[in-house]
Amino acid sequence: MLHPLLGPIMPGTAFLIAAVLVEYYCGLAPALSVMLAGLCLADYLFVPPYGRIDIIDESDIRLLVSYTLITVLVITLVERLRRAQYRAELLASVALSRYEMLLRGDNERLIARRATDEMHRMLHHIAQHNQSLILIKALDPATSAPPGSFVATAATSTAAGIIDDETFLTGIAYGARHSQVHQDDLARVNDRLVPGHHRMRFLSNGHGWRAVECVCERFTTPSGDFLILRAED
Amino acid sequence: MNTSPFPTAQGSDHAVLLLHGLSSSPAELRFLARALVEEGFMTHTPEIRGYSADTGHVPMEQWITAAVAEFDALASRHRHVSVCGLSMGATLAAAVAQQRPAARALLLLSITLSYDGWAIPWYRFLLDYAYYTPLRSRYRYREHEPYGLRNEALRSKIARVMQRGEISEVGPASIALPALHEASRLAGSVRKKLKSISTDCLIIHAIDDETSSPHNARYVVTNVGASFLRTIWLDDSYHMITSDNEREVVARECALFMRESAAASACCNNPTPVVSRALARRLRQLAAVARKA
Repeated sequence: MLHPLLGPIMPGTAFLIAAVLVEYYCGLAPALSVMLAGLCLADYLFVPPYGRIDIIDESDIRLLVSYTLITVLVITLVERLRRAQYRAELLASVALSRYEMLLRGDNERLIARRATDEMHRMLHHIAQHNQSLILIKALDPATSAPPGSFVATAATSTAAGIIDDETFLTGIAYGARHSQVHQDDLARVNDRLVPGHHRMRFLSNGHGWRAVECVCERFTTPSGDFLILRAED
Repeated sequence: MNTSPFPTAQGSDHAVLLLHGLSSSPAELRFLARALVEEGFMTHTPEIRGYSADTGHVPMEQWITAAVAEFDALASRHRHVSVCGLSMGATLAAAVAQQRPAARALLLLSITLSYDGWAIPWYRFLLDYAYYTPLRSRYRYREHEPYGLRNEALRSKIARVMQRGEISEVGPASIALPALHEASRLAGSVRKKLKSISTDCLIIHAIDDETSSPHNARYVVTNVGASFLRTIWLDDSYHMITSDNEREVVARECALFMRESAAASACCNNPTPVVSRALARRLRQLAAVARKA
């Protein structure tokens, strides 16, 4: 459109811009193709004599040198920037991967710490209430550690340790008070025990039975989930 | 099909089928296999006829059939079976996962859909045509430096083995043209079927991979049909990421991903708890990005 106004000034400008845009969006090979096509078109359309490509004169040589030099220079710079940008994007991906690995590692560490804290809480609970323990029950005996091992661990820190571990394989370890519990109540909690308060019958001075408030707590540890039942008195 | 002599964890309910690279041996997965066994997984690294080194030439369809048979054998004995592959083994693993959607997790290490890394010679594309010439049975593509290794000490050790023309722990000294041809067919087949793979997918790739450029991993990320997809980029390794500088990272992330995948599976319905607030924030960000996409 501007050709009647400008005449044969900067005949390759539009093709240079086109080649640079193609380089930026599509890459080196398409840009070089556009540059070569642009050189031929510019010479044919915008370099006098117009519409002729077979006559090579000074203006053709000027176009060949200036257009090619400038376009190759700009394309090279854009290509270098694109490669640097690609490299930077890859390095950013690596940084992101490492950050996510760090977060996952941190999460694993926190889970392990929480599990360790819970285990400490349970062992402390067993040691503190050693004399009032009725039983410890593993919720999943197949995958849990034997409950008797915790009682044994805790018992070492107390003067009068317990442990009746006859039901070792069923995932139940009995504590110091279990022998005083009525057999029916004991059978009931053996079968079905839930966290919370329970009322159980205890042998009173070797004669009658008296109701005693008991409490059952749940502990989720790395060795499995356990329920600990103890008398509250 | 032979079984590798590597240690395997007995009694584990999660087995991992490990597939080595083209014309190579299970030795290139030795470190990963040991690390996974220590993490409690059962590993199985088979040699596949026509695919492994010195086992003749068979069409790639038979590679897939043999690998699927190995998968089925593991699936009959274990609750979870994951498939892991290195290089062209990752492409083969993707083909197995496509045929066996019951696979627990798919681990793609340095997946190779095309040989377009920076160390691949410019005339590499001519080898596709050379297959149809008398060169087919005479020419072998020789491996050269850096042998997929950024670790220079290990590279010099491998170079000595390669110069003797023997098979090393990172692969063979040379690959026959028919094997390369079948590998190209396998890659083409997997490219077309990526959308149908819905298995949980972990992709680990080095940004400086000299054999398969990061475009391979990006292509899989864009096209795979998995909903649980994780990509990890490495910057201190080349192609053989199970032997190079970051092999410990690779082994740890593989184990972690398979554990998470098993925990999140429908049968367990007990995903790994997110305790870290930073991780929870990051997961929310990723979920928001996924929703927008």
